[in-house]
Amino acid sequence: MAPSRLLSTCRRWLLPVVSLLVLASAPAGAAQPVLRVLAWPGYAEAEVVRAFEQRHAVRVELTVATSDASLWEKINTRNYDVFAVNAAELQRYLAADLVQPLRPDSIPNTRMQLPRFRTLSAIPGLMRDGKVYATPYTYSQMGLIYDRKQFRTPPRSISALWDERYRGKVIAYDGGTHSFSLAAQSLRLASPFRIAPADLPRTAEHLIGLRRNVLGFYTRPEESVHLFMQHGAALMFANYGMQQVHMLKDAGADIGYVMPQEGALAWLDCWSITRDARDPALAHAWIDHLLGPLASRLLVERQGLSNTLSDEGNGQPDGIPVWLQPPEDTVRRERLWERIRSGDRLSRVLAP
Amino acid sequence: MRFTIAWRLGLVLVLVGLLGTGLTGYFAYQASREQLLQSSEERLLTATQVLMRQVTVALNNVKADVRLVAQHPQAPRILQRSTGGFQTLSEENVAKIFEGMMAVHPEYFHVRLIEADNHGLERIRVDRGMHGLLRVSGDALQEKGHYPYVFETLRLLPGSIYVSRATINHEIGAHAGEHRPALQVAAPIHDARQRAIGLVVINVDLQGLFAQLAADLPPELGLYLANRRGDYLIHPDPALGFAFDRGQEARVQDEFPAVSALLKDAPNAASHRVTTSLPSAAEPLVAAFDQIPVPGMEGGDGFILGLSQPLSSVMAESRQLASITLGIVLSFSALTVLLAVFLARAFNRPFYHIVAEIRRFAVDGKIGALPVDRKDEIGELAHSIQLMERQIQHQIEDLQRQQEMLDHLASHDSLTGLPNRRMFLDRLTHALARAKRQDEQLLLLFIDLDGFKTINDTHGHAAGDAVLQAVAQRLRELLRESDTAARLGGDEFIILFEGAWEDAQIEQMVRKVQTALTAPIPYQDIELHSGGSIGVSRFPQDGSSPSTLIAAADQAMYHSKSNGR
Repeated sequence: MAPSRLLSTCRRWLLPVVSLLVLASAPAGAAQPVLRVLAWPGYAEAEVVRAFEQRHAVRVELTVATSDASLWEKINTRNYDVFAVNAAELQRYLAADLVQPLRPDSIPNTRMQLPRFRTLSAIPGLMRDGKVYATPYTYSQMGLIYDRKQFRTPPRSISALWDERYRGKVIAYDGGTHSFSLAAQSLRLASPFRIAPADLPRTAEHLIGLRRNVLGFYTRPEESVHLFMQHGAALMFANYGMQQVHMLKDAGADIGYVMPQEGALAWLDCWSITRDARDPALAHAWIDHLLGPLASRLLVERQGLSNTLSDEGNGQPDGIPVWLQPPEDTVRRERLWERIRSGDRLSRVLAP
Repeated sequence: MRFTIAWRLGLVLVLVGLLGTGLTGYFAYQASREQLLQSSEERLLTATQVLMRQVTVALNNVKADVRLVAQHPQAPRILQRSTGGFQTLSEENVAKIFEGMMAVHPEYFHVRLIEADNHGLERIRVDRGMHGLLRVSGDALQEKGHYPYVFETLRLLPGSIYVSRATINHEIGAHAGEHRPALQVAAPIHDARQRAIGLVVINVDLQGLFAQLAADLPPELGLYLANRRGDYLIHPDPALGFAFDRGQEARVQDEFPAVSALLKDAPNAASHRVTTSLPSAAEPLVAAFDQIPVPGMEGGDGFILGLSQPLSSVMAESRQLASITLGIVLSFSALTVLLAVFLARAFNRPFYHIVAEIRRFAVDGKIGALPVDRKDEIGELAHSIQLMERQIQHQIEDLQRQQEMLDHLASHDSLTGLPNRRMFLDRLTHALARAKRQDEQLLLLFIDLDGFKTINDTHGHAAGDAVLQAVAQRLRELLRESDTAARLGGDEFIILFEGAWEDAQIEQMVRKVQTALTAPIPYQDIELHSGGSIGVSRFPQDGSSPSTLIAAADQAMYHSKSNGR
């Protein structure tokens, strides 16, 4: 063996050994700080997270919520620093003292937002006692996606979800609060967010009717796309709005998207910082980063959602937005919904 | 110790030996280590495949169970409510079958018979509760038509089996199975007109199933189960299993990048295997992954099953190997050193012997025993040295002979062979010293030939020479061993007698000499007549030094010559 070969062999062996030693001797406590983010699908794209991690030398632990119920459950574990929540849902977090006021000065990118998102006092629910608790990030209406081949004319009412002609071809969202609001709209109750106790049984029954009419329920947007494409669905309630339209069109579906005449439920998702955030300054930096050009651009390009910086690329059909409001009793809605989704019949659903 | 060639050779031998054994050991270790790693990877893969077959067998058992119920003649009758008055009894019997299955299979969460009508209403349902099996009935039966395991199964052809993706069961009222990972295995039930009228479905406790299958694995092995997207379903760290259900991402390909190749393969393709280790992880692992194809499966799309072993535990074997190799290398190195010492000594010994012999030869000139019998270079060398020594010996002997001859020439008269004047003086000096020491006497006879010149002139020098030679011979014959006769030059001779001499003895000796001198000397055809005058001197009476004694004898000789004329 030539000496140079020998030398290179030594080197080949030496390097891993040395690096192992170096690794072993590195202080164990030198772990990076972690920012625990809870967001909705598509809100924090991988490159957005990476850019933040690099800029702040931290690690982002991203968790994706797919329903208001799971979001609520997770925030109540007090294991998160910053999260995205819709303005209506925010109210119960405020009531439970789970969020802390924001320091708008620490989020300079808010100055880039459209004026209607900057005047926070004009948006119900974001302020309390003169303090700001959330900053708008994205918004969408929840319309109806329909298969153009199966609908000669686009569906007009939310009640199309109950249309027996489409039995087994309807896809609905697995979420208690929204489902009750939809049922209330379909039943033409006074307010989708204020279901009177007397109206509850028939609303629940109506939802059982929805359950019996659907093919299935989804939580994640890609799940809805899979169901829709796989089973030749005719109609789908678009909880994620344009995001699903976008994904379905990418998947080659020939679909239309309409806003129901009853008015489309609309959500405005905001960033909020939890009361227990380990590093509020870092959480503010996260929000500022997500209001920056990269995240806002990807929101439109990848998800088909709207951002708060411009109205461009917002291809939502016209409709009457019915901005979400805190429902009369989220816990009860969720409890009932869980039973309905699990397949219970009315007597069982309404049981105490 | 001197740094001789032999030792240098020995040292080179040691170095070469050490290098040889060292390198051999090193590469043997490296190759064995690689093999060790490979065999442990193979062991893992084998274990994975065994486990995989067990999983397949277990899944097949579940399939057989659902198929058994689906093909049971009672099933369609119960669903169609065509058993007449025996409806309840029939349902009881099927429920008993369900309970029997669940008793045998602790990994079954529930077994259900679901009808296609009435929105997928459950007809017969046995759950596993906290304290045993529960027959769920009446109001508690639920409508499941909107769940994929129902609507997917109802679309299947008779005889097909549906296996769902592994999910966390969030259906409430599921008793022990609630919020637990489960797999639904279902078979459709068809009526006589091949219309799907219901299904039988078994919820399999995924964790329970794998805990059961992996119970015999060594504790250091980590078990991994992932779906086809790579999402962990089971992971040694429980926090990573079903992370997607909690909105997080924990995927096998992020921890073991090589597995992504496996994920790209067709789900029901023939068994693929990938072994990989991840050196950058906190605890580096050796892992083997394999695909569990689920043949005939419609809903789900198979699993990735893997087993891992800490690299450190594999390396522990390698450390043992290293120490064994080191031991072998060290003992062979020691052997090399011993061999080198032995060789160096064996090489040195004949050289030292030759050198000692040469030294001895230099001292005493005697040729000793050299290893000339050897057939090698050393023998040749010894042979050459012996030849050289012999030549030297001959030359020295020649020189000595010549020296002796020269010495003789220098001390003797070349014509007569008698000692010359120089040697005589030497002997006289010695005899004087001895006589003085021992209080003895000396006698000198100084002889001068008479008529010598006449003979020379008359008969030639050769005749003169013959006279001188004859006189010398006669004198030698007169003398004892201890006496010395010498030719002083020309026609002068002198004789030294040691010992005490009476005057009468002296006269007798003088007469004897006189007679010898006067006797005729034959020369060619004639006789030559010479004679001599003799002078005597004695020690201590006539002198005590050679010169005085000789001078006294010379003077006495002149005195007698003049008296005689």
